[in-house]
Amino acid sequence: MSASASSFGAALRFSSRRLRRGWRSGELLILTLALVVSVASASAVGLFSDRVRRAVTQQSGDAIGADALISSRDALPQTLVDELRATGLRTARITEFASVVLSGEDTLLVSVKAAEAGYPLRGALRIADAPFAPAREVREVPGVDEVWIDVRVWQTLNLQPGASLQLGESTFRVTGVIEYEPDRGAGFTDLAPRALINAQALPATQLIGVGSRTQNALLLAGDEPALQAVGERELPAGARYLRPDKARPEVGRALGSAGQFLDIAVLAAILLSAAAVALSARQHGQRQRDEVALLKCMGASSRYVGWVLMSQLFLLGALAGLAGAAIGFVGQAVLAALLGALLDAPLPSPSLVPLLTAWGLELILLLGFALPPVLRARKVPPIRVFQRNVGEDRSLVVGALALGSAVALLWWQAGDPMLALSVLGGALGTTLVLALMAWGFVWLLTPLRRAGRTALRFGLGNVARRRGSSVGQVVALGAALLALLLLAVVQRDLLDAWRNRVPPDAPNQFLINIQPEQVEPLQAFFTQRGYRDLQLWPMARGRMVAFNGKPVTADSFDDPETRRWINREFNMSWTASFGDDNELLEGQWWTAADAGKPWLSVDDYVVERLGAKLGDKLTLTMADREIELTIVNIRRVKWESFKPNFFLVTPPGTLDAAAGMAQYLTALHVPRDQRGLLRDLIREFPNVTAFDIEATMNQVRGIVDRVVQAVQFLFGFALAAGACVLLAAIENTRAERVRETALLRTLGAARRTIAIGLVTEYLVLGLLAGLVAAAAAQIIAWVLARQVFELPYSWSPLLWLFGGVGGALLVVLLGWWSLRKVLDTPPRVVLASAN
Amino acid sequence: MSERELEAGLESDVKAGRGMAASGRAVVEASGVSKRIQSGSTSLTILEAVDLRIAEGETVAIVGSSGSGKTTLLSLLAGLDLPSTGEITLDGRALGALDEDARAALRAGRVGFVFQSFQLLGGFTALENVMLPAELAGYADAESRARRALDRVGLSKRLTHYPYQLSGGEQQRVAIARAYCGEPRILFADEPTGNLDHDTGERIVELLFELNRVGGTTLVLVTHDMGLAARCGRQLLLSQGRLLT
Ligand SMILES: Nc1ncnc2c1ncn2[C@@H]1O[C@H](COP(=O)(O)OP(=O)(O)OP(=O)(O)O)[C@@H](O)[C@H]1O
Ligand SMILES: [Mg+2]
Repeated sequence: MSASASSFGAALRFSSRRLRRGWRSGELLILTLALVVSVASASAVGLFSDRVRRAVTQQSGDAIGADALISSRDALPQTLVDELRATGLRTARITEFASVVLSGEDTLLVSVKAAEAGYPLRGALRIADAPFAPAREVREVPGVDEVWIDVRVWQTLNLQPGASLQLGESTFRVTGVIEYEPDRGAGFTDLAPRALINAQALPATQLIGVGSRTQNALLLAGDEPALQAVGERELPAGARYLRPDKARPEVGRALGSAGQFLDIAVLAAILLSAAAVALSARQHGQRQRDEVALLKCMGASSRYVGWVLMSQLFLLGALAGLAGAAIGFVGQAVLAALLGALLDAPLPSPSLVPLLTAWGLELILLLGFALPPVLRARKVPPIRVFQRNVGEDRSLVVGALALGSAVALLWWQAGDPMLALSVLGGALGTTLVLALMAWGFVWLLTPLRRAGRTALRFGLGNVARRRGSSVGQVVALGAALLALLLLAVVQRDLLDAWRNRVPPDAPNQFLINIQPEQVEPLQAFFTQRGYRDLQLWPMARGRMVAFNGKPVTADSFDDPETRRWINREFNMSWTASFGDDNELLEGQWWTAADAGKPWLSVDDYVVERLGAKLGDKLTLTMADREIELTIVNIRRVKWESFKPNFFLVTPPGTLDAAAGMAQYLTALHVPRDQRGLLRDLIREFPNVTAFDIEATMNQVRGIVDRVVQAVQFLFGFALAAGACVLLAAIENTRAERVRETALLRTLGAARRTIAIGLVTEYLVLGLLAGLVAAAAAQIIAWVLARQVFELPYSWSPLLWLFGGVGGALLVVLLGWWSLRKVLDTPPRVVLASAN
Repeated sequence: MSERELEAGLESDVKAGRGMAASGRAVVEASGVSKRIQSGSTSLTILEAVDLRIAEGETVAIVGSSGSGKTTLLSLLAGLDLPSTGEITLDGRALGALDEDARAALRAGRVGFVFQSFQLLGGFTALENVMLPAELAGYADAESRARRALDRVGLSKRLTHYPYQLSGGEQQRVAIARAYCGEPRILFADEPTGNLDHDTGERIVELLFELNRVGGTTLVLVTHDMGLAARCGRQLLLSQGRLLT
């Protein structure tokens, strides 16, 4: 029964007892709240973004009709299909090839797609009974004697309802018009119109024999692990494994930005929680010192004291971890319910793994931010029971630990040390700037110490007198306000701008196959109907045969994507004007005077594929003639504009030899209620084909909208974390203010005088913090706009107003609320309990 | 240890006369003790060449004018701080050789405190405050000891009250119950009646001396109250850091 005081059990009992009333001190409550917010945000973020990511991947899976696919020139063997099915994947094979359909005397070159039952594995076809009739969603393939066709086939062959088409040796009934085919590529201009048949009907057509040119794909859908396993297995020669985020540039880009948005939202919430935890833990540690001294007086060892302090924190941490996980779970469920209506497919059910990550994060918060400042109290000597000033300390170790933990925290969450370091660097730089500005402002206030009436002087004087603590408080308040302001800016301006990158009037109709002599009549047709300044792009095909004088074929390159690309015919165009949806990266755009020069403008995709640079020469064959073109500039096309764009463009006149064979195309926005116009168009220009790309556009918009909502939800947590920092900053000086207020009232100060003084002080602190925050918010928003969102940023003077006035009001309100009781209770009671 | 055994043990102590002895075994000894405080370039001497010996069961009052070093001496004797020079022995152990934790371990279960400003834990009920030293000393029956101790100071009805719900005198009685509960061999009290009115102070003093009478606990009191000092077996007078008697 000796001094086994250090036993952990006793410490645990002690600290749990202590916690029962420890809530009374605000800082423990705030510390717990901050922990709850961080766990809630990390777990909600983890759970939800995990689900969103899986859903978004699934949705972009729609864009290829599957989660992934294996493409190959040759038919894929049944053994591979069986093996993949055995791993739990769903499969469907498709075969595409060019062929001719017959309708009576008429023939038409079509792109036939023969799909196995199960196609499409993701997304749905939209099939109508007749052209421009209402379409229905279809998730199956035609019957063995049926064919579904593009409206172009219907129009060109002048079909009537109930028509039949001959394809090879078989006859098919036309039972549907394809309005939307999820896996039709973006390179629509390459494709002949579609005819979709059931794969079981393919052998009977006898179209596929040895040596016939087909493109085969095996569509796959299923669990992520199984899909990943496919990527690692040996595939037949010539087969390529494709994941959707690689397959379509515009979907891929939306996904990339989505990931970045989610990361930023999460990191913001976590950094703010860390700041709130550090602030309140420091205060908690300081408040423990008297008690620690007393415990030591009565014989407690510092080990026992350490256990007490630590178990107290970990008890809190466990509670906060559970509460946070529960809130996180509810949060993501509420969000899923809200967004459910927008989804084609239900969100996959949450997996619990993100909870572990969230708890790991909380552990880092506890160990790195909360424990060190609290454990400092362990060192307080017992003599403090007689001498209050003993055991006050400042420690660099605590700061260094917090810094290291911040890196660990960011690393843990972002999974990227460079990103972690740069975010941390940004945060530190911001803090430094905040501190400098705060110091400057407080310094400017010094002469005001003696100005104004008593109450005002008391308030202003307090700010100037306690310069160090004032600067600290302005920095803490400023950081919290900065976070709130930034969230407002990012949410309102940047997300909106991002969302609007696909403008509402982006072209939704493409017209192709326009003959040179139809250019003017077509323009007249549209001008009559109120569509002015219709731009038409000429288009000619070419094949690349040499690069810088050296002959090239697909075999000259190792990269499969380049090989595929070289194999195709390029669509080329010529124009004098530079598209407003293009960005010039290198070189100069040409003038009208350069017409006819053998120059070439390329998209940076070409640069990437060929490793080309300014001055390189491409030799192309066009209409049996060779022409050598020199790259004079490099562009980057914003494909989100949905306007026609070309990888390869020359000045007008350069391709005159090919121009005779050129066809033109154009794109325009036709509102839904004016679709009748397209029928007139087809009647007047029967050979022109109209393409509706609205579905594709909506697909991209749908992804972006969904991500924006997810991000806004996540920013809500960052907002809560910011509020915790604000509360912690106010709470930090509360005890001191309570004692001071009681003393002043004891000494005879009127309640009104003290109230005005306090309001003045909080007003000044809030105003300073708000201004400092507004300045920093502008800078950071600018950097974010330029670096992350790639958007222009407009400076907003309103931010200063919101920051300054809003900050001042918010701080006054919170400060007033935290001290409201003090002003209403007799000073005797306050002084008695302050002891 | 059951209650009966405890009482029996205490009575045998009293019968053996240990509670009264002034010449028995020394529980606190100081020789050549001084305390200097270095602040900036000036060195301040608070205590100078203090020698004393307090025997088991003794009651000793330390008196002197304000600022004479009474509190400093008390805290050195209790091992809360170390002297600049000299040696202090507490319950037979030389404090100079012990680190802070070892000194704390020495206090646990041996040394009790009563302070002028009570020093109760605000977040703990009266009962929990009183249990604390017994728990620190590792007694398994801390709670029943605490209930008995509170009963002895007449607060058995206030077990679940928090310090802010108690008057100053009641808080000091809780503090004394806390000292009882650990059954210390030696109790240090720094102006235990300083914050209390005369009558309440009387009751507190009564309780302190009862501890000495029944349990044989050595009392070392710092006080300005000459009446209280006179009730002690011995008075030590401090003046400007030097012991005059
Ligand atoms: N940490 C310290 N730094 C500077 N001076 C100190 C320190 N501790 C004590 N002193 C000084 O030492 C002297 C003795 O202090 P102490 O608290 O022991 O006096 P005291 O006799 O208890 O007085 P009181 O009756 O007023 O409580 C005082 O002059 C005090 O100012
Ligand atoms: Mg004193």
